[in-house]
This record gives sequence, C-alpha cells and structure tokens, in this order.
Amino acid sequence: MLISLPADTAPSTMPSSSTSSSEPAPGGRDEGTSSADPLLVAAALEIGHDGAAILPPMDLRIERGTFWAIIGPNGSGKSTFVRTILGLDRPIRGAVTRAPDLRAAYMPQQATLDPIFPIRVLEFVLMGRIDRRRVAPQPRAVGGSGGAGAGGGRAPDHGARGTHGGLMGPPSRDDLQAARAALRDVRAAELERRLLRDLSGGQRQRVLFARALAADANLYVLDEPTAALDIATEREVLGLISALRDQRGASIVMITHLVDDGLSRADRALLLDRDHGTTLVGPAAEVRSAPELLRLYSPLHGHGPGPGPAEPPPSPPAAPVD
Amino acid sequence: MPTDTPTFADFLANWPIFRDAVLTGAFAGALLGFLGVQVVLRRMVFASSAISQAAALGVALSFWIPSVIDPVGHAAAHSGNPGVHSSIPLLFDPVVWALGTSLVATLLFTVNPVRWRITGEGLLGIVFLASSAFAVIIGDRLTQETHDLAAILFGSAVVVRRSDLVLVTGAMVSLMGLHILFWRPLIFVAFDPVAARVQGLPVGKLNAFVFLAVGVGVAFSTRALGALPVFAFSVLPALAALLLTTRLSLVFALAAALGAMSGAGGYLVSFRAETPVGATQAALAVAVLLLASAWRTVARTLARSRGAAASASSSPTG
Repeated sequence: MLISLPADTAPSTMPSSSTSSSEPAPGGRDEGTSSADPLLVAAALEIGHDGAAILPPMDLRIERGTFWAIIGPNGSGKSTFVRTILGLDRPIRGAVTRAPDLRAAYMPQQATLDPIFPIRVLEFVLMGRIDRRRVAPQPRAVGGSGGAGAGGGRAPDHGARGTHGGLMGPPSRDDLQAARAALRDVRAAELERRLLRDLSGGQRQRVLFARALAADANLYVLDEPTAALDIATEREVLGLISALRDQRGASIVMITHLVDDGLSRADRALLLDRDHGTTLVGPAAEVRSAPELLRLYSPLHGHGPGPGPAEPPPSPPAAPVD
Repeated sequence: MPTDTPTFADFLANWPIFRDAVLTGAFAGALLGFLGVQVVLRRMVFASSAISQAAALGVALSFWIPSVIDPVGHAAAHSGNPGVHSSIPLLFDPVVWALGTSLVATLLFTVNPVRWRITGEGLLGIVFLASSAFAVIIGDRLTQETHDLAAILFGSAVVVRRSDLVLVTGAMVSLMGLHILFWRPLIFVAFDPVAARVQGLPVGKLNAFVFLAVGVGVAFSTRALGALPVFAFSVLPALAALLLTTRLSLVFALAAALGAMSGAGGYLVSFRAETPVGATQAALAVAVLLLASAWRTVARTLARSRGAAASASSSPTG
C-alpha cells in the first residue's frame, strides 16, 4: 500500500496529515526479521530547520536487512531527513526511536570534507573502524578478501569481523586488514598511500564508500554514494550496497538521484518533495511508478523510471557471514 | 664609543639565570606548536589569539580587583618588588585568573553560535575585541603593575617564575600525552564530525578536550611569555609543518619541534640582539615559516624538473 499526502498543502502548515507505512518489502525481503524489532522507527516525524517543518509528518520503520532509497529533488529535505533519523538534528515534532544495538556508518558527500587536512586514504578508511561502541573481540574466522571486485556482489564482510582498536592507540591488525580489504573491494587498493585531497572525484567517492564498508555497522547511511562515478563503477558500487544487505543483513538508507538503478535495488523508498509538500513512503516498486515521482523526474531527467530493473540483484552469498 | 653587545659566551656564562625562561619558552612553543595543528586544521586560527587576549584580560583583572578591594594592602604588597606576587593570595594569582578567563572563552567556543544568529568567526571576533578592550581599559586604571601588564600583553617578560616552568611543563606532558593517546578519534572528529557522531564517538567531549587544551596551554603560556608569542606559536609552527610534510603524524611532531625552536631560539636571539623577547620569539616563528615556504618551493621546483627530465629521457627520439 502506498500512502501519499495531498500535494496542495503548504509543507509547514500540514501537521494534521501523516504518512504511515509498514508494508513488507517485495520479494519477501522482510521475511525472517521481526517486525517488532526494527532498527529505527519514526513516528509522526516532522523534519525541518529553526523550528519550522519543511515536510508533512511521516511514519516509517526501518526493519533489519532492508534497503531504503531516499529520493527527491535538490533541497527537498533528504539530507535533513537522514540527519534527523541519525540523531544529528532534532525533529521538529514527532519521535525517532533507535534500537539499542543500532550501529550506523555514514558516507557523506565528498564536498563536506575539508581538503586542508593531509589525510591519506588508508588513514581515512581506518576512521570507519573507530567506534567506541564496539571494542569487544569477535571470535570470527577471518576469510580472505579475495579479489572478486566490487561488481561481483561478494560479501563485503570485513567490517563484521576482527577487533577494533577502540578509541586509544594505533589501529589493530584487524583494523588494517579490514580497511585494506574494503579498499580492494572498491578497486582502490593502489590508492592506499595517496592523499585523499589529491584524488579525482570518482576515486574519492570509492574511498568514501570503502570507509563505510570497513565499519562494523548494521545501518549504512549513504549520501549519494554513486555521485561522480562512471556507469560501470556506479553499478559495481550499487552491487556492493545490495550485498551489504543480502550477505551481512545490514540495513541501507541511500540518498540517490538514480531513480532507475537505485529504486530497482531498493526494498522500500521514501520520496520527499518539499515544493509540493509531499512525502511518499512504501515499497520501492510502487514508489517507482507513482505519479508523484513521474511528475518530478520524467520531464526533466534521463534517469526517469524505466520499465524494469536495470540489473539483476547480486548473486547470493557463498556462505553466510552473520 | 664601542657598544657592549652581549655575546653567546655571556649567555652561557649566565645560563642558570636564563635557564627557566629558555626552557619555558621551548616547552610552551612545543605545546602550542603541537596544539596549533588542530587550531589550523580546524580553521580556528583566530581562536588562540582570542583566548590569549582573554588570558591577558584575566591577568589584568588579577591586578585590578585587589587594588579596588583593598588598595592599601595591595600597594604594600607591591611596594618591595612590583613584579613579584608571592604575597598575593592564591585567589588573585594572575595564573588563576588567566586560566579562568581562558576557560570561559574556551567554553564559549564549544557552543554552537548559530543559535545566537552569529557565525563562529563572529564569536571569535567578539571575544578578541572584548578581551583586548577591557584589558587596555583596566591597564589604564593600574598604577603599580603597568609594566607587568604590558609585558603580558606584548610578551616582553625576560624572567619567568619557576612556577610558570612547572605549569607549562606539566601542561605540555599531560596535554600532548592525552592528544597522542586519543590521536585517531581526535583527528576523525576534526575531519569528519558528522560521521564521527554517527559512529558513536563523543564528539562534543573530544572537541571540548581540544578547546580546553588550547585554553589551558594558552593561559599558562600567556602568563609566562605574553600574548604575542603565544598567538605566534599556536599558528606559525603548524603552518610551517604543513608546508614541509603531508604526513599528519609528522606534521604534529614537526610543529612541536619548530615551536620549541622558536621559543628557545627567540630568547637567545633577543639576548644577543637586545630586542624584546616576545616579539623576537614571534619574529623567529615567522622566519621559520618563510624558510619552510622557500624550502617547499625549491623542493617542488626540483621535483618538477626531475619529472620533466625523466619524461624527456623516456620519450622516443627522432
């Protein structure tokens, strides 16, 4: 079921309407997960700035192992939504409830990183391993990272094994292994010693994604992870993101402008349209064919929704990781 | 008439007299140079200037308030040696007040100023200007300690107290040690605070540690050296180190070394050239920065010419 708010009401004056959706994801993606145990629940959530809501209230549940695509035009509130559910911004109204075991990793847009810092690629990816919530050793066998490459959809499992060095001292050997494995997965191993600021846009994007991969998270929040990538690398990265869900059981929240490729891989979608005061939440396939989406993207964008998935989902894992 | 210019031999012969001042200058330079990397990378260069001015205001208040509360006792306490405050109660010790006002300024910087509709830069300017203005106004009201205050504001103090050396040494060891211990999260928080918060790092506490470290380092050093060299040490060695290397850990080490060199070397040069100590220390830090810039230019030119030669030799002839 797809629920939409009326589009003719000013965003800041429509607190009476709300969106709610708890539909199971297509393809049985939600099977095996407890609907009573979501990673994150937003109830009557209103997001905005300076006390003013920019979108109507919304209700949604991010279940474990689901892939969410957040779409909408520039300035529609996508980043504000993400910041709010992560607890970086306060909701204007409503509430966000996070599971006690929520461990999020965040991939920012590269423009937010200050080039004055002489940070090397390996140092940067190792930042993904710094997490005070996880210092206990995990008795998990360490498999080889292999070299299947990003496009194969191989399980990027290095974040979920080994031990973190914690907040103090140098990175552990496991941290280094995980960081290097993540770099190999995004085909950026040769960049290890380069300065992040010296990389091209596409290289930097891959390294940003490698840091997210290296983290031991159960929720990956990715802000336009395929921006500045060529089409082949874009598909590879999307394959890796899907594999995070399929093989590690992680949830994904991805801000994207890739209506075709992004929505075809996602289980659920949230369309934000600040100009029309619309939030649309539901199964990705339904959002993909919703008139609100067509209105936004079809006339202007070559990325408009097409007839079907752009690429088959990645192959199932050879062995479960989690 | 021949001038009697002091020589390095004179300096060495009187080393016990200068030892504390030279060591304090070196240790303060090392601490501020080290912390200055965070200051520069976080683009808050003006913060150390504002904090050092706040520390100077604190010192001025420590002189002025007792003179208002108990003018007779205050004058008696300073009648023997105006520069010595051993008979002043701890409550009015200049270091205590410098620390207090520095920490107040530091705490202001940990607050997000957007809620007051001003930018971070604007907040720095307000603290700097308010501290400077009130320090000058209060200095004008003082009669006994005008020379002391001028020394603190402009860094012309020649002799430092043993307690200053102890405080600066303690601050250097503890603050640099803690910084090295929590090196990775501190860099992470400075570089990508949003991702650090998402990963559960205590971003507010780590930022507060950096600001407090700068505040404490500036407060102790300002009392000992003066505001001018303190501001110079917390900016210039870091800039020089960033020109000389792109390895971040080496940047911190190099900045500390260059800061120490400017602190101790500035004292030595001022002795030899008979120039004001604080200004000479700051000028030496500037000279180090210029040398680093020249070195980088030469190194880049050489690398480019080597690259051009290599490509010329590898390209097919004819």
